[in-house]
Amino acid sequence: MTAAPPRTADGRELRVETQPSLPGLGGLYARGAAASGLIAAGRALPSIPGIGEARGPETRADASDGDLTLPDVAYRVGGVRTDDLERHLHDYQRLVHEPVGNTMPAGYLHVLTFPLTTGIMVRNDFPLPLLGMVHLANRVELRGPVTVGDVLEVRAWAENLRPHRRGVQVDLVAEVRRDAGDETEPPVWRGVSTHLAKGYFLEDGDGASEADRPRGQWTPPLPTGRWVLGPETGRAYAAVSGDRNPIHMSALSAKAFGFPRAIAHGMYSAARALADVGPGRGDAYRWTVEFAKPVLLPATVDVAITPEEGDGAGFSYVGWNARKGLRHFSGEVTPL
Amino acid sequence: MTDRYTQAVNSGFTKTLATKLGLPRPALLRRYRAGEPLTVGPVLVVSDGASKADADALAQTLLGWDLDVRRDPGDDVRFGAIVLVLTETARPGDASEAVLATGSVLRRLAGNGRVVTVSRAAAEGDAPALSAARNAVDGFLRSLAKELRGGATGNGIVLTDDAAVDQTSVLATLRFFLSAKSAYVDGQLLRVGPAKAGAPAADLTTDRPLAGKVAVVTGAARGIGAAIARTLARDGATVVCVDVPAAGEGLARTANAVGGTALQLDVTAPDAGQRILLHARERHGGLDIVVHNAGILRDKLLANMKPAQWDAVIAVNLEAQLQINETLVQAGLENLHVVSLASTSGIAGNKGQTNYAFSKAGVIGHTRATAPLLAEHGGTANAVAPGFIETDMTASIPFATRSVARLLPTLSQGGEPVDVAEAVAFLAWPATAGVNGQVLRVCGQHMVGQ
Amino acid sequence: MATRQTARAQSAGSAQAPRDAVVVGANRIPFARAGKKYADASNQEMFTAALEGLVARYGLQGERLGEVVGGAVLKHSRDFNLIRESVLGSSLSPNTPAYDLQQACATGLEATITIANKIRLGQVDSGIAGGADTISDAPVAVSEGLRRALLEAGHAKTWQARAKALARIRPADLKPLTPATDEPRTGLSMGEHQAITTARWGISREAQDEIALASHHHLAEAWDSGFFDDLVTPFRGLSRDDNMRPDSSAEKLAGLKPVFGRSLETPATMTAGNSTPLTDGASTVLLGSREWAESHDLPVLARFVDAETAAVDFVHGREGLLMAPVHAVPRLLARNGLTLEDFDFFEIHEAFASTVLTTLAAWEDADYGKNELGLSGALGTVDRSKLNVRGSSLAAGHPFAATGGRIVATAAKLVAEKAAETGKPARALVSVCAAGGLGATAVLESA
Repeated sequence: MTAAPPRTADGRELRVETQPSLPGLGGLYARGAAASGLIAAGRALPSIPGIGEARGPETRADASDGDLTLPDVAYRVGGVRTDDLERHLHDYQRLVHEPVGNTMPAGYLHVLTFPLTTGIMVRNDFPLPLLGMVHLANRVELRGPVTVGDVLEVRAWAENLRPHRRGVQVDLVAEVRRDAGDETEPPVWRGVSTHLAKGYFLEDGDGASEADRPRGQWTPPLPTGRWVLGPETGRAYAAVSGDRNPIHMSALSAKAFGFPRAIAHGMYSAARALADVGPGRGDAYRWTVEFAKPVLLPATVDVAITPEEGDGAGFSYVGWNARKGLRHFSGEVTPL
Repeated sequence: MTDRYTQAVNSGFTKTLATKLGLPRPALLRRYRAGEPLTVGPVLVVSDGASKADADALAQTLLGWDLDVRRDPGDDVRFGAIVLVLTETARPGDASEAVLATGSVLRRLAGNGRVVTVSRAAAEGDAPALSAARNAVDGFLRSLAKELRGGATGNGIVLTDDAAVDQTSVLATLRFFLSAKSAYVDGQLLRVGPAKAGAPAADLTTDRPLAGKVAVVTGAARGIGAAIARTLARDGATVVCVDVPAAGEGLARTANAVGGTALQLDVTAPDAGQRILLHARERHGGLDIVVHNAGILRDKLLANMKPAQWDAVIAVNLEAQLQINETLVQAGLENLHVVSLASTSGIAGNKGQTNYAFSKAGVIGHTRATAPLLAEHGGTANAVAPGFIETDMTASIPFATRSVARLLPTLSQGGEPVDVAEAVAFLAWPATAGVNGQVLRVCGQHMVGQ
Repeated sequence: MATRQTARAQSAGSAQAPRDAVVVGANRIPFARAGKKYADASNQEMFTAALEGLVARYGLQGERLGEVVGGAVLKHSRDFNLIRESVLGSSLSPNTPAYDLQQACATGLEATITIANKIRLGQVDSGIAGGADTISDAPVAVSEGLRRALLEAGHAKTWQARAKALARIRPADLKPLTPATDEPRTGLSMGEHQAITTARWGISREAQDEIALASHHHLAEAWDSGFFDDLVTPFRGLSRDDNMRPDSSAEKLAGLKPVFGRSLETPATMTAGNSTPLTDGASTVLLGSREWAESHDLPVLARFVDAETAAVDFVHGREGLLMAPVHAVPRLLARNGLTLEDFDFFEIHEAFASTVLTTLAAWEDADYGKNELGLSGALGTVDRSKLNVRGSSLAAGHPFAATGGRIVATAAKLVAEKAAETGKPARALVSVCAAGGLGATAVLESA
């Protein structure tokens, strides 16, 4: 059952550590999120079996010393049963305005794999602190329907540590395969989350790449929709996703991290946009998002979901604050 | 509904109290209900010697109506009605015996009983004695009516010389006066002329005297108009209910209650007559009865009267009727019965109602003038003049004024809208073709004017 | 034998060529601004009142009609059989069947289409179509959280389970939910949607105000001339549409602040003056076969010729939310061999002044005609002097499901009057846009 060792995008071969089970949802998230506050201080995540145990006795390497390397390890959990997730899935679907059913939208698989990915980030040899990292972008590919009852295998690792003009960025990769499926087949779901750690720099880094440069004046298009997000939006998504990062939970806790008010989860916004695309996306699609200005709650977000010209062409989307003319996020959904 | 005072003094403890205190005790008037007897008891027919043949003829008719008819007062009979026939009385002195015979049984007249005189109208060329005898009945009847108690009424039929006593119109009028339908008609004398040649024989005893007829009632949204619509429908007519568009909600209610149609129309519109005629013909195949009931009040002392107040009342209450009648006369409808609502104000006058009285007296004027025009086609034009009628409108009169107004008539109470409606239905009846150009007061014998 | 064959051939022939459905007449109650005269009137009360006025006008007391069809857009759960309950509360025969139907603002017109089709097919001889809507008495729902907790508690078998379910109720759940006119899929109100369409077509504020002003003036003239005397029955003391502003002027309209499209890059042009207000009201239309009308000595105003509905994909901005009629009309005209030139009257529902203007603009646009409507060029031009000549929703108001009945009534009476006046047939085009990217359109001809 042990999978062939995965390789990172830059060709590193990773050592696979099989975990006995996927860190749970619900209560486990609560503990995980509570613990994650301690991770920044170099503590392990004691409650999730298997995760964090690889840490050595020494404390985390000094992050600012420029000697930043990612752990050469991929977590793997096999035999992940989903047959008891129906109600949780439906809660998620209602929250992000997906049609309720037993097929998992790509965003739900992000939620499902999120604890394992977090597990990588809370390892003692992970060079960057979890809290305070900024979610820059996400790329997801869903190659076919994953439904409640499927037994899955999930892997997660970190790769592609690279410079950003404000620090370093790293990709957290998660893959979902049908358990006992063909190892050589691409995963049925693959997500890459790009995070920025401000104030960290790579030895060989020379700052920002072209793509990271600040954008010029931007004119919003005509909207196709409007989201009115209440102050509870962050807490509601936290309850379902388990991502209880304090910046989402309340104005008070967000202030501690430099935000004037609580901000909406990026993956909540991206999931709402994915839902707005509707059935035109099909069962298999690529879904990308890039985050710009955070959505400060409560908020009214204007969105434009724009079908691209041509058969089988996808959709681009963008969300913005119409009053201030500030872009919150943009991305694409392309049928595969 | 009978007013609360009348109810109170006629029932239970309050009745006893009222009797002890000597309070006026207005009677509970008996009103028409299908299937109930025509009169409350046997009918006594009396006459002077000369009129005996006419009295016999009438008695025969009454027998045909399944009434218990007596020609002799007897000793212990409690009468439901007395018919006093004086049609052929030549001199005033000839009436004595019959009149006094009537007087002798008055104490035995039941509550809601009836006294009906049948006499002839004084006419040009009458000998002075004949004219005196004929005219004397007028004063006699009006005074007799005031002496009656317990809801009993006295009314008179006044035949023209060319009218036979047993012709349909006379019998129809007699039946109306004897019946509960004339509950609030008191102290009135109605002139009945000759029957139209070849007029179809009518079944005077039917419960649906207007079956197959198409009637238009203006101002039918509520009050007296709604009651007229209901009564005409009860009598078998298909009713077109007309009122101003703004009163449409009540109008629809009336139309649906009577199974008729609602026509939202301002009667002052120049084409009102045409539209009424068109609606009746297209939707119901003809027009037999028109009731001009729509009317408004804009009370003001003449010194304070504004042009709008004067003009609106004249336009609605008078000009509209004239205009519609003109259309109807031109249309040459056969056997059309037009009944216009006048008012006792138009007869006796009322302070603050110069405009209203002008319009209502005008109605009486045009009714008399229209009558011969319609008679050419077998039709009639008559007016009904209500006195104090219990409606939403009179309910707004201050309590004290209202209470006094109720006690003024001989019957010591206000009338019900249905009382007016019964009089209208009577005049709309094809059997009354000989009643034309008349004003029938429905006022409980209110002491004003004629 | 030969006779029998002939009879069969005839009956087959009549099945292929359906008989006419005609508009006999109509009735509605005056439309009232939300929260005013009809503040405590329910949909059922209003629809029953409209029905009663119709029954009274046409003497239908105790009549068993083929069907009564209608609906309400904003509906209480207790109104599950709204139209049937209204029939039972009316003077019609209780043996008259009824059912509810709902197609947002096109409900009334869709109900008319349904009845007309059944008449044409011979399934019914007569029917009443209509609709009612109240904003004042709109259903207020509980929050999703409270609803789920209550349902769960209701289903619970033990008190513990019930208590557990109820314990999930949060204070925020107790906030009532009032119905929104926002499109569920976009979160944009109808006004915001139309603002986007307005911006796309570059419709000016002045042009919109002009439409609004004409609507008020036309409606006021119609009322004053007695046009509505046999189309409306007063209700609750209201005898005219109370949104109507006969004294409105271009200056007054120009002074109003825009309320929609304020977050767009282009200047906002849509005001409370050139948008329909929230309104309460109900309307009905009486239809029948010619034979039915004749046998009941009823008049015939117009023939209900044909209808076409359309829907557009507004969710991703491919088309404006309220532009579906733009697509329906070319198909309707093609099927009937008509062009816009062939109409004497255009009744285009004024959801917003700019809805009318974007509709006209789209029909006049050659590229749009080619690319979006599949025509060889522009559909054509609507003669403005034939447009909404007795006013429309901007002045009368727009109680969603009741608007279709109002418009069909006006169109039917217009063609009847025109034909009577000129001695020539007259024709009207009816167009009603609706939420959800829907639209219903119809052709009426003098009978």
